[in-house]
Formats: sequence, C-alpha cells, structure tokens
Amino acid sequence: MISIRDLRSGILSIEDLGIAPGVTSVIGANGSGKTSLLKILAGISNPEAGTVLVDGIPPRDCEIGWLGGFPDRNLLFSRVTDEIASPLRFRHMPEGIIRKRVRDCMDMLGISALAERRVQELSGGEKVMVALGAALIAGPGLLILDECDSHLDISRAAEVERLIRASGIRYIMQSTQQMDAAARSDSLVFMENGRIAHAGTPEDVFGVLADTAFYPLSWKCRL
Amino acid sequence: MAAEGSFLPGVHIVSGDVGSGKSTLATALAGMMQPAGGTITRDGIGSQMLSFQFPEYHITGLTVGEECRSWSRDPGPVLRECRLAGRGGVSPFALSRGELKRLHLACVLPGRYDLLVLDEPFSSLDVEEKERICREISVRKHGITIIFTHEQAIFPKTDFLWEISGGNLRYRGKVPDALTGWEHAPQVIKNLIASGRCPGNITKMDILEAACRT
Repeated sequence: MISIRDLRSGILSIEDLGIAPGVTSVIGANGSGKTSLLKILAGISNPEAGTVLVDGIPPRDCEIGWLGGFPDRNLLFSRVTDEIASPLRFRHMPEGIIRKRVRDCMDMLGISALAERRVQELSGGEKVMVALGAALIAGPGLLILDECDSHLDISRAAEVERLIRASGIRYIMQSTQQMDAAARSDSLVFMENGRIAHAGTPEDVFGVLADTAFYPLSWKCRL
Repeated sequence: MAAEGSFLPGVHIVSGDVGSGKSTLATALAGMMQPAGGTITRDGIGSQMLSFQFPEYHITGLTVGEECRSWSRDPGPVLRECRLAGRGGVSPFALSRGELKRLHLACVLPGRYDLLVLDEPFSSLDVEEKERICREISVRKHGITIIFTHEQAIFPKTDFLWEISGGNLRYRGKVPDALTGWEHAPQVIKNLIASGRCPGNITKMDILEAACRT
C-alpha cells in the first residue's frame, strides 16, 4: 500500500489516502495539484509536512520510474542506448550486465531497431518509448506517468498502456486528461484544489462525476 | 510529406499520428516555413495567426498580466475567463502546463483572423477547458480555422475533415459525409457508424444525440 498522511505542500492538502497495487489514475482540472502530488510520490520534491510511504518506505529510498509529458526535455544522452542505460550506469553496474539489460529492455518495448539511432533524430512517439525504457530498466516498484499520453496519438498511447500493464510493476500511477483511459484503471483519484475530492474504483468515482465533463464519453455512449 | 488541397472558409480538422507531419504542415500553411517544393497560395488572407503546440514559445511577458497585454487583451476579463483570476502578477512559467495553454488560447481565440492555424490546441487542457474551447471555436464565423490534432474525445463543430496518413494529406470531405472514411475517427464514432447511427457532426452533443437514437 502507498500511504499518504497529513500531507501539506503548496496547494496540496491530503489528510489520508491509501493507494493499492495496480494502475491508479489521477484526474482533475489543470492546476488541481496532480503533478505536485506525483512529484512528491516520485521523491522529486519533498512535502512541507506529512508522510508518504511506499510499502512502508519513503519514496527517496525506493526504486521509482518517472515518465513526464515532454520526455525530450529530460533526455540526457545523445545515443538511445546510453539514455536507456543511464540509470544503471549512474550506480556503476558492470558494463556487461548493463548491455544485456538494455537489449532485453529494448526487446520488451519493441524498439530494438532504434539501438543505433541518436535521440535527436527520433519522432515524439519514439522519444516517449526511449524515456519509458529508461524509467523501466532499473525494475521500479512504482512507475509514475505524468500526462505522458497528452502528446501521444491513440495507437501509441494504447501501446504504452499495454506495455506498462505487462511489465508487472507493483504500483503504476498516472495523471491523464483522457477519461476513457482513466476508466480502464484499477483505481481512480479525483483532485480538486489540491485535495482528494473522490477516490475509489472508476465506477465509484465516475458515478459521482456523472454530470460533469469528466464522465467518459464512451460510458455515455455504451450501446 | 506531400500535400495538395484547398482550405475554404470554415472549421477544418486535420488528424494524424504523432510524427506524421501535422506541425510541419501547420507551420508551412501559416507561412513560417517554405516547402521543399510546390507553392502555398493564401488568397485573401490579410490577417493570420499560428498557435504553436507548446504555449511557452509564445511568451513575451514577464508576468501573466503582461502576457495578456502583449496580445492587446485586458488581463481582468481574460484571467477570469480562463480561471486564473488573481494570478496576474506571477510569472507565466509558474503556471502549470495546462494553465499556460488556457492563458494562451484565451489571448488568441478572441482575435479576428482570416486564417487561424491551431497546432494541438487541446493537448494539456483539462476536459472542462477542452469543451469550453470547442464551444468558442464552434461559433467562429469569420475566416478559415485549421486545427491540427490527435484528440480523440472532444471536438468543435467541424465543417471539413482531413487526415495525414502514409506521408500524404488526404481530404475526407464535409462533415458528416466524411465521417465514414475517417481513419483516425475516435472509437465511439466508429461504433456509432457501425450501428447505423452516424452523428450529424463530431461535437459531444452530436455524438450523444446519435447514441440516444432508437
């Protein structure tokens, strides 16, 4: 369980939130605090007050993968294989093991053909796949995706969704403005002005949001 | 990519996958890039605007209020409209990604342009804001509005459909006749057409009306 207690940070104010293993989507209006919450869960920022624990461990002591909406702004290296290998190189893992893990990771993501390419030459969708490789290669227990689907077309977003589901990662947390994607999550958190307005299964949360723009169009049009 | 066609007054949607050339065509149509071959003629276009996918590219003001004024807009009403009231004194870069897009579109859309090119106007926006922007675009009466997008759920009332596939721009026709040939159509529209309920247009209301038909 991921547990958040008495969290205060900027506009965020969360008394008590528990997140079960599986895929959890965080939804809400622009500026409601989704990215701030995800950054704290990732250990990128520390809260001003309160505790966040992932299976009893603070985020900065956990292995966590992060994929943002603009991956080309976070890519560090010019060669695809160097970028994917970077989390392992930063911890001085033997080069032979790194090469094998990079190959396996690229096979798993279906991007082996990009091995000799330079990051700058890639399309936006390919950059997302490379950033996903770097987020996955160290075997994170928690993978966080911050609106990574906002600049992906429908087929690439579906591919990312399939791959992260198949990765076996214990916790996957994503913010999204695609309500049909949120509806396929195991759990849903709806944020409003830095607070958790509703949390539960997609049926529970969208049930409360039935008269709002957040209710998935595909649910309204179930034939 | 290769493109050939004429954009008439009205609202056009050009859909296509990421990397298919949407932004390239948008930039060329707005006259900010010369094509490698061929010509683009802008007949009767006296005023034009290109809205980039990334709103950061447009920022010239040090504060949100200054940014509004740089577009000759009064910050008060603009910030109320895009739910940023009270934030006029902060840096535009202090806004969240979606808030900055809201601010940018609130400055752009009131303008009267003969040609308005919007590159991915809906990305990063929350669903309420997407619906609001679509309502604004739907009532534009003047000029040519061309929207390049991979959006799959929320659209304005649209006159003409295009898509980029296989490296070519393809004209699908006038809405609703164009919907049956729309490769990038959202699944919900494909399902409605398959069940014999083709929507009259692609706004949320049109889709719901078609879904409710008996």
